[in-house]
Amino acid sequence: MAHEFTRLRMPANLDSLQSLIEFALAGADRAGLPVSERDKLELVLEELLVNVARYAYLPETGEVEVAYASESPGELTVEISDKGRVFNPLEAPLPDLSAGLADRPIGGLGVLLVRSLAGSIAYRREDGRNTVSFRFPGPQRSGT
Amino acid sequence: MKIEPTQLEKAVLLKVSGRMDAENAHEFEEACDQWITKGARHLIAELDGLQYVSSMGLRSFLAVAQKLQSNSGSLILCGLKGLPRQVFEMTRLIGVFPVYESAEQAVAKL
Repeated sequence: MAHEFTRLRMPANLDSLQSLIEFALAGADRAGLPVSERDKLELVLEELLVNVARYAYLPETGEVEVAYASESPGELTVEISDKGRVFNPLEAPLPDLSAGLADRPIGGLGVLLVRSLAGSIAYRREDGRNTVSFRFPGPQRSGT
Repeated sequence: MKIEPTQLEKAVLLKVSGRMDAENAHEFEEACDQWITKGARHLIAELDGLQYVSSMGLRSFLAVAQKLQSNSGSLILCGLKGLPRQVFEMTRLIGVFPVYESAEQAVAKL
């Protein structure tokens, strides 16, 4: 069943970050997302939105849209989309997690966190737009 | 984010509380850099008041630790809990930094 998305579009830069995150978290609160999932949702939003702000339109500028919908109480589906260069976070290379401190790469950890924390994460490129969609609550992790 | 430093005999203890995100993670790195410039070799980050850390925060921890290691020093973490602990575990950084339950334990190992 199609469900109605609530949307906010803003310039894709770090100044928009807080407003976009607060917009989606307000949706999470209305949907009754468990408190334990709220910080994880915020983390996934930050990682994906920082990526768009920094890389999607380089060296130009553009917009990013956050959209959310709730199919059932306690659940939230989020979509983040931009019209920047093709970037599929699900296929981005992950850093070498076995490297010791001196060789440990400093980048790439955000994408790893997104893939670990978000549920049902998917990417599509259509009509010149990147769209990453995901759901919360995310996968339940044992022992945490 | 709040950073409260205390100079100890063998290290500088930095009590970090609040949220470390894309907007303020650089403040932690800058605070550590100041102590490194003053000659500190070991920094202990006490993180039981840290509520949130994103990959930008992790970058700062890594950058500081790499600087200290190249000078035969170390960045020691203690008091990690909640989501920040999960974030360090998911990125397998728990095994990269020395991690202790408390600042007292960290100091005792120096």
